[in-house]
Amino acid sequence: MTPSGALPMLILRVLHSGSLHGYAIAQRIHVLSSEVLGIEEGLLYPTLQKMLLKGWVTAEWGISETNRKVRFYKLTSEGRRQLKTELSDYDRVSSAIRNVLNTA
Amino acid sequence: MAELLRRLRYLFQQSRLQRELADDIEFHREMAGRSGNRNFGNVLRMQEQAREAWGWMWIDRLMQDLHYAGRILLRAPGFTVAAVLVLAIGIGANLTAFSLFNLIALKPLPIRDPQSIVRLERRSPEIIAGEMPYPMVAFYRGHAKTLSAVMATMGAPPMEFERDLQPVTVNFVTANYFSELGTHAALGSLQLPAQQSGPPVVVVSYGFWQRRFGGDTSIIGRVVQITKRPATIIGVTADDFAALDGQESDIWLPLLQQPYFVEGSKLLTDTDSGGETRMWARLAAGATSRAAEQELLALTNQLRKQYPKLIWDHEYILSEPGGHGKIMRPEMYQVAGMVGALVFLILVVACANLGGLMMARGISREHEIGIRIAIGANRKRIFRQLFTESLLLALLGSVAGLALSCIVMRITLAATDAPRWMSAIPDWRVLLLTGTLAVLVAVLFGLAPAWQVARQRQRRTFARQILIAAQLAASSVLLIVAALLVRAAHHVLYTDPGFGYEQVFGIAPGLDSHGYTPAAARVYLDDLKNRLRALPGTESVSLSQLPMLGNGATSYMTVDIGGRPINVYPNWVDPEFFKTMGIPLLRGRNLLPNEPNAVIVSESLARKQWPGVDALSKPLWRDGSKKDIIVGIAGNARIKSMSDGDAVEAYWPVQPANMPAMTLVVKTVGAPSAHLAQARAIAETLNPKLFPYIWLLKTGFRQNAEGLEKVTMIVSLLGLVAISMAGIGIVGLVAYSVSQRTKEIAVRLALGAKRLHVIAAVLKQFCWPIVIGTVAGVATAAATSKFLRKFLFGIGNLDPLSYAGAIAVLIVLVGLSAVTPVRRALRLDLARTLHYE
Repeated sequence: MTPSGALPMLILRVLHSGSLHGYAIAQRIHVLSSEVLGIEEGLLYPTLQKMLLKGWVTAEWGISETNRKVRFYKLTSEGRRQLKTELSDYDRVSSAIRNVLNTA
Repeated sequence: MAELLRRLRYLFQQSRLQRELADDIEFHREMAGRSGNRNFGNVLRMQEQAREAWGWMWIDRLMQDLHYAGRILLRAPGFTVAAVLVLAIGIGANLTAFSLFNLIALKPLPIRDPQSIVRLERRSPEIIAGEMPYPMVAFYRGHAKTLSAVMATMGAPPMEFERDLQPVTVNFVTANYFSELGTHAALGSLQLPAQQSGPPVVVVSYGFWQRRFGGDTSIIGRVVQITKRPATIIGVTADDFAALDGQESDIWLPLLQQPYFVEGSKLLTDTDSGGETRMWARLAAGATSRAAEQELLALTNQLRKQYPKLIWDHEYILSEPGGHGKIMRPEMYQVAGMVGALVFLILVVACANLGGLMMARGISREHEIGIRIAIGANRKRIFRQLFTESLLLALLGSVAGLALSCIVMRITLAATDAPRWMSAIPDWRVLLLTGTLAVLVAVLFGLAPAWQVARQRQRRTFARQILIAAQLAASSVLLIVAALLVRAAHHVLYTDPGFGYEQVFGIAPGLDSHGYTPAAARVYLDDLKNRLRALPGTESVSLSQLPMLGNGATSYMTVDIGGRPINVYPNWVDPEFFKTMGIPLLRGRNLLPNEPNAVIVSESLARKQWPGVDALSKPLWRDGSKKDIIVGIAGNARIKSMSDGDAVEAYWPVQPANMPAMTLVVKTVGAPSAHLAQARAIAETLNPKLFPYIWLLKTGFRQNAEGLEKVTMIVSLLGLVAISMAGIGIVGLVAYSVSQRTKEIAVRLALGAKRLHVIAAVLKQFCWPIVIGTVAGVATAAATSKFLRKFLFGIGNLDPLSYAGAIAVLIVLVGLSAVTPVRRALRLDLARTLHYE
């Protein structure tokens, strides 16, 4: 399952605790969601490119656990702000949905 | 903003960023492989999807499309050359027309701050005057605060220079003229004296300096004789000097010294006549044209107290932008609009023509497009590809059209002896129009065919029919306009103009510019008339206030007759005028010498003002209140307006006060050229200070006719181009629909159908478009040709012969171009065709 609309939010959230490379982002989301959410590569990289353009993340070179030179994505202050608004938006919408589901 | 910058960075560092992205994905694949997940997608496709986020994919696609379009066009060189040529003609005609308009009306003159230069003219609800007495100019200059500088110019008849046979053209200008325009001297200085006293000086133009002095640098300080008066050459204007309102001249003299060069002139003080100087000004910083008009209106009202007779009722000063090649008049805009419409029609024909070609080509590419759709191209992408091809063609056509128009402009500028600052090199306005036209024609000829081909609907005949109708409509308008102009020119040149000019010459002694009083002028003119009459071979001599077919101002008044504006050309003449000019008096009697309140009108004026009623003894309007009685009706003689079909004439007796402004016309028994020298000698012996201007009416007539012939030739050429393009277009479309139905034709013929029937069957689909197109064209021409009336002498704008002629030419051409391809189809080898199919 791929949470397409929420993907930028998920990426922002996992990057909040530290910079990661692309594969690690996908893995982290996969693990944290108890293996419910799987991120397709075909979606991950276009989304990352978009986020780079928006200035929410930046990329810098680092060394991977396999000792390979690879790009790590890091949250910017703008990205932190974006995460905050997305989270509050998400809370509002999901509680609204829950209200509908509970009362209807 | 920051996002845009980042986006741009992605555009410029594309290859590096692309490598980084590929690296990311490669690493991802490696890691996924390590953890046992070998099911990885298409890496290239993934990269492309990711790159899409950068927002620059359209450039990639455009480059692809352009590349492909270039290859396609190269593969069909015949088609490409034909298409570019057709477009070059259509676009070139438009660009040339616009370039001329641009030079005259839009492009600022190469002078200092051209935007703040204004032309100031006297106006009242009844009167339009381009010139004013110099004291008025001086008054405004002394008092206007919205104007930072005021200039005055005055044209004059050509003057004698040294002892040259050829007189030189002259302009008198105020001392600040050259410095205000910010021009520099090519040689010497352009500092004209600011006082009337002081040594007389002259500035020569660059062209005259080259022609007359061969560019001799030692002429500064040389004393030359201008109308036999010595003056010192102080400078030469710059090669690219741009005079205001295109008033270029050979020599420039200080306006304040005009009374020295024209002895007896009261130009600088006279407030009785209409005046001869033109007023220009530079708006003060921050002042608008409107503010200047308001201030000048207040000043005019002050001036009325000083010169109650000089200032008209409700007079005001009109301010117009003056920093362009020409001060545009409403009628000039009308002409420009008409020319614009005609050249645009050429473009329409070219586009319709090319649209047909594109559609026919769509058929031959059906196969290719079928394959591309089969392997997964969507229609949108194919449409975009086809339209890119059209755009590329349109661009090529525009560039070729631009080159063509540059060449035509260069030839035109050289042939018309245009000022040097006028350049054939296109400026940004012309380039902007070129780009706009490229997109416009791509839409006009490319959009519909691309749409049809992409949807594989090109076999429908409807679009083809529209194309044919459009071509026919546009070409018939052009042909009809050309026919009307040809007929009118023919009429002007080969029918009786209503007056005799072969044996007549004119003399303009220029008494008014030498300060003659009416009484002195009368004495001089009587003397001159008597002496000329005494010459052997003189048939008659008469006075005419307006120079007949000579240079000089044409004055006319526009009067509303029966709801239509009619140009009335007035003249003030003596009784012998009609005999001298060979104008018949149809009814009534001649004017008596100095008769008050009498007028003779031309036949057409009588007919227009009093249709079906005898005009004799009727009162004629003049100056609103005064009425004159019509004593005679003369034949129509369009001397001052050869090609204006609406013009009419009225003749009043010579007014004693206007004596100094009179010119003479002299009719001789034989050829008049032999008399010119004698006439000049007589005029000069009577007063050696005068330099009379003498001309043959024949020459003036020929000059007028030449102008008319040129216009007619250009319009005919446009019509010819349009109709040949339409003809070729029709040949193409018919041939194409025949080729589509080869099999059907062959089967029919094999089964014994009559050839005529087969032809009819093939051509049936073109019948209605041809009829509808032609009718639409004729209707458009009939509705709009009334704007042409000023150019149509002797024929109506609905002249049946012109319409019939144009339509006949059109029908013959359409018939020829439709039948030729069909005839070829009928000769086909039945057995082989059927076998092949």
